[in-house]
Amino acid sequence: MMKYSGYKGKVLAINLTTKKTSSIEITDEFARKYLGGNGFAVRYIFDMVDPRMDAFDATNVVAMMTGPFQGINSPTAGKYYMATKSPLTNGYFDSVSGGFIGAQIKYAGYDGFLITGKADKPTYLFVEDGKVEFRPAEKLWGRLTGETQEMIKEEVGDPNLCVSAIGPAGENLVRYACVITEYRAAGRGGVGAVLGSKKLKAVAVRGSGTNEVADPEAYEAWMQWYKEEAKKVPGLAVGLPTYGTPALVASIGKMLGAMGSYNHKTEFFQNWENISGERLKKEFWDKDTACPACPIACSKVFSAKSGKWKGAISEGPEYETIYSLGSMCGIDDLGAIIKGDSLCDEWGMDTVSYGVAVSFIMEAYEKQLITRENTDGVEFKFGNDDAMIAYIEKTAKREGIGNLIAEGSLRAARVIGGGSERFAIQVKGLEIPGHSARALRGMSLGYATATRGGSHHDPRPTGEYAGASDRKAVEGKAAWVIGTQQMTTIGDSLVNCHFLERLLGFTLTQKWVDMINPVTGFGYTLEELTTVAERILDLERSFNVRTGIRRKDDTLPRRFLEEPIPEGPSQGMHTDEPTLNRMLDEFYVIKGWDPKTGIPTKEKLIRMGLEDVADRLAKEGISC
Amino acid sequence: MSVVVAQEKKPLIRFDIKKCAFCKICELSCSKYHYKKFGDSISRITIIRKGPLMFKCHICTRCEKRFCITACPTKALSYKGGNIVVDPKLCNSCGDCVKACPFHGIRLHPETKLPLICDLCDGDPSCVKDCPKGALSLVWLPEVRK
Repeated sequence: MMKYSGYKGKVLAINLTTKKTSSIEITDEFARKYLGGNGFAVRYIFDMVDPRMDAFDATNVVAMMTGPFQGINSPTAGKYYMATKSPLTNGYFDSVSGGFIGAQIKYAGYDGFLITGKADKPTYLFVEDGKVEFRPAEKLWGRLTGETQEMIKEEVGDPNLCVSAIGPAGENLVRYACVITEYRAAGRGGVGAVLGSKKLKAVAVRGSGTNEVADPEAYEAWMQWYKEEAKKVPGLAVGLPTYGTPALVASIGKMLGAMGSYNHKTEFFQNWENISGERLKKEFWDKDTACPACPIACSKVFSAKSGKWKGAISEGPEYETIYSLGSMCGIDDLGAIIKGDSLCDEWGMDTVSYGVAVSFIMEAYEKQLITRENTDGVEFKFGNDDAMIAYIEKTAKREGIGNLIAEGSLRAARVIGGGSERFAIQVKGLEIPGHSARALRGMSLGYATATRGGSHHDPRPTGEYAGASDRKAVEGKAAWVIGTQQMTTIGDSLVNCHFLERLLGFTLTQKWVDMINPVTGFGYTLEELTTVAERILDLERSFNVRTGIRRKDDTLPRRFLEEPIPEGPSQGMHTDEPTLNRMLDEFYVIKGWDPKTGIPTKEKLIRMGLEDVADRLAKEGISC
Repeated sequence: MSVVVAQEKKPLIRFDIKKCAFCKICELSCSKYHYKKFGDSISRITIIRKGPLMFKCHICTRCEKRFCITACPTKALSYKGGNIVVDPKLCNSCGDCVKACPFHGIRLHPETKLPLICDLCDGDPSCVKDCPKGALSLVWLPEVRK
């Protein structure tokens, strides 16, 4: 029995090659040091995976993790966490998704799974309480994510079964293939492709156990506090419940002029009103939906009631998808965006990377770096919604130029050449989402330094939108970015939604501590929690430096460094190279990373209790 | 012929599919109220999703036919004060009531193996109280007697 609550005390290691499983004990000390989700996964992946191996090598590990909050009714706890070495970025990558499967993993008696090896034929895993079955999945191979989930539920005979599945995109190793649970995606970075390389179609979990909190009275008091305080936060009380994330189209696209459009040739989308959250709600809304345990219910089911794409229905699109499939591709028909959103989910790929990769191809086409000969005669122009829709399936099947889109914009640029890398909108291979690297100074530095690359869930843009940090300031920005990265790391370790930031703080605060202690019983101080976050981030960085990542890779697309936003409310803004370098210098010093190389210093690693990591780096000759 | 007896009323937890967001907070509230633990396998209410818009609520409806009582071979179930009540001394955990309920309103507790049936939490159902979308409500309907 563990002293701390919220844990089952064991992680299940599953080897698909040998079809053997083994149990790894979670000790009290380990739980306190690494917290859960993100922290657990990065420690295991650092220890188990050779970072220089290809992401599709059988030795790569996919961690499917929970934190202490899964299975309880704490707001936004209805999530699960996946991590692996990414085939898109080659670095450590994690992807968090809504889904009751996180709770079921706990109820089945585990804190998570570590999946490695490679099955000899398509397989799915069925975990029920302490029992694991490797089930044949030949019948499921090639199927969409929705029908895969339904077929497994039927086979097991439980309509309430939780299933996480990949689609054909994952099977065909599309580098940003995702994992779908119900209608939510562990979207980014290609976790689905790694599962596909392992011939693992799905994971189904059912547990009859429970999860408890350490101090029920303090927990109840916190829940009451949450209910009262959340009412006072406009985003949580009105914005997200009413419109969901599409509300951001008006605030980011119109008011700030910071919504990437036409592959970031501009950030002011003239037709923003056509793709706004208000219009979506008024003309397309069917119902609100939520991740499990979440009272915010920011998710919505939308359908096209008329127009060219009449009948298209999806849970979503979120703001990011309206950006990637919409403004980035020059498409202002919400029906097409809804259709594209549902098809990306069904074929199993990340909407952000797909849309941004397509917009990259559109610009390459416009610049005549590719021609109709390369595109099977398709006019790959901005605004061509038919092409954007048709190439979802072709990308999943790697047909025609879909085979290039499936590689992501950076790899596509290297094939196309002609200086196109300049306008491949990515950092470390990961396509940048709809939060401007030019209009938000924190995101310039944030994307450049994030473990995952172009992710808005390592650094967060919300505090700059809210004015908690001046979006134009350079001074003090490094400390701010580090603070938001610490916050998201803790969120990902609890495996809670980052939207709690609006209430608990954009950086770590005592309020985050006050939420964690009643559940776990750690009695953390803010200082200890901050150390936990830094420890996890240093481990991620240490994994990445072992893949060869250095300071030179902590940068932005040339377009962002050299071309200011040409029009609109944020006209003239961008972060040039000298400014980025100034912020980077400050960033590494605060982090305790070597400013020349970006490698965590031995002294910092030791201070974080990571002596073994310092030794490992030294042994490999990459310490400083 | 059915006769409506005005003075006797029957409780019903009404489910509004339009409002339900599939957050399952009701399931967690139910298990917390009854067992001070969180788990859907010990919840007396279950929400199932069958597509983007199709949600179902499985809970005891206090139906007129009381299939569960009829099906019980040991007479462990009875109807008292608007609830189906289980006598743990008589119940042999055969699960016939689970199979008999066309509303999927009964499951067996995974450890005690006793039937779990909604008991309205002493008249103030926690699922109704905690539903953030107002999708669940407690209503009292006229009792129909044959």
